[in-house]
Amino acid sequence: MAYFLHLLIMAAITIPTTLGFNFVFGKGKILHFGHVGTAIVAAYSLILSQQVSGSWFQAILIAAFCTALISLFFSWLALKLEQDAFGILSIAVHLSLLAIVLNATALTRGALGIPGIPRMPGMETPEVFAIVVVIVVLVWIFFAWKLNASTFGRSLQALSEHRHHSEALGIRRSRVYAGAFLVAGLGTLTTNVFFAQYLGLLHPSDYGFPALIFMAMCIVAGGPGRVFGVTFATVVLILLKEGLRFLPVTLVPLSLRGPILLLLFGVILSVAVFLRRETIFPKQRSV
Amino acid sequence: MTQLLINALIAGSFAALMASGLALVYGTLGVFNMALGQTALMGGYVTWWASTSLGLSFPIALLIGMVAAGFVTWLSFEFFVEPFFRRHRFLPLVTTIALSMILDGAILLLFEERPRSIQFLNAEPVTIAGATLSLEQIVLIICTLIFLSLTAWVLTATSLGRKIRATVLHAHAAESLGIPSGLLYRITFILSGVLAGLAGVYQGIDQNLTPVLGFSITIKAYAAVIAGGKGSLKGAVIAAYAIALLEQLVIGVPWFAGTYISAGYQSTVAMVVIIAFLLFRPQGLFGSTTRST
Repeated sequence: MAYFLHLLIMAAITIPTTLGFNFVFGKGKILHFGHVGTAIVAAYSLILSQQVSGSWFQAILIAAFCTALISLFFSWLALKLEQDAFGILSIAVHLSLLAIVLNATALTRGALGIPGIPRMPGMETPEVFAIVVVIVVLVWIFFAWKLNASTFGRSLQALSEHRHHSEALGIRRSRVYAGAFLVAGLGTLTTNVFFAQYLGLLHPSDYGFPALIFMAMCIVAGGPGRVFGVTFATVVLILLKEGLRFLPVTLVPLSLRGPILLLLFGVILSVAVFLRRETIFPKQRSV
Repeated sequence: MTQLLINALIAGSFAALMASGLALVYGTLGVFNMALGQTALMGGYVTWWASTSLGLSFPIALLIGMVAAGFVTWLSFEFFVEPFFRRHRFLPLVTTIALSMILDGAILLLFEERPRSIQFLNAEPVTIAGATLSLEQIVLIICTLIFLSLTAWVLTATSLGRKIRATVLHAHAAESLGIPSGLLYRITFILSGVLAGLAGVYQGIDQNLTPVLGFSITIKAYAAVIAGGKGSLKGAVIAAYAIALLEQLVIGVPWFAGTYISAGYQSTVAMVVIIAFLLFRPQGLFGSTTRST
């Protein structure tokens, strides 16, 4: 039962960030590979504020402000730079933010991470934690589904299919991009509100490049831009990831689990891209 | 100051080797190979393995390392680039990221996590104009300049280079004139891998090889390619040296009230400067502005 609850919580925690990222990478076809950089800002601003103020409410407000700022920064970069240059430089921003976290040891404790993070009042038991997280994720899925079908979702899709035609028809790219990046930021904030307090630890190793690969994999496997597909893929891939982690040591030694996971995720992403090669970056619609 | 310039020359030579290969591939195919950092590590690790485990002499070990890097790059092209890049030129960006994870995993399984260094000359350091550098570093800088000059010569003054440039300008027109563009894509890709493998050996001799390096190497080299103007070999090489100089200046010069910036922020500051530069000149140093669609 405890293991089932753990899987449920991990899947529910991860869904908001993948669904949020799906609006930028999946629906918007924006080559944004710095989403984990946004997660770093969300997580560290939240936990550091919580430790200073002692209030989760204040911490969430501060983290929301910081996450919105970094999301708008990424959106501005996406508007200014060419698509592929933005892809590379968004990774550079992520790695730079990670370097700051690792080196500002007086504030973040660097590679040691921040231990002893308390849970929100009333959420101490796994059962209650699971109920709250599942309710939040259901609300998130509904929100993403409605947003996907809204004018905003259609504008984002139109921009991804033909930017100049869409702009000529009055779609404001700057506004739509800002919206998409803010939704992605909100998703990663939602995930990070629960992630560190569930583990009781905020560690920089959770914010490395494999985290981005995992999210990209969920989107590609689930179908770029599809809300329920990405949700389903996230659940399946979380089961795979957590399942491998809990395999007996005799079957897969601990030292081999990291490399095997890397190999496995690399292969899954490659196969998923191969199978979805026609739809990831769609051709223009002909009328 | 001389020491800073020498350090920039050493670090820049490594980045220039990587960046020139990437610029070559981008110029020819218009795709990014995000697994080139791991390919560089593979070349370095195989050279280390051949020289320490097999006990082969350094030149033979180096040759094996280059062949291994070229082979990995050829496989990368056949399985992760060729089936995708004609559909959309951004697809290989995602597939090669997947490949980088596969290679990261393979490197960890084959060579373990501990740092490995390649023994080369083991001679005493020399002092030039007040700056200290090892004999290995002098050899590496000279070799890099020779390799880069050779690549530039092949591209500008040989029949193969003219065919490559014709393919870059208009692949279909080049094909109609009997130039085998498919073969040239493969040659260019493999050449970039060999240059990357050489950079990996450079890293193993000058510092050491660790599996986590792959991605940061790629990003730094791509920053040089983008800042230099995508596809421009000259721009990539100049930007690689400029970034290396910038990184040395960041940590080697006192900034605020005589304080130094921590080495941990070296790359961060350099990246911020590159992003700021690209916001003013998105096409890079030697790139041209064109509307994409």
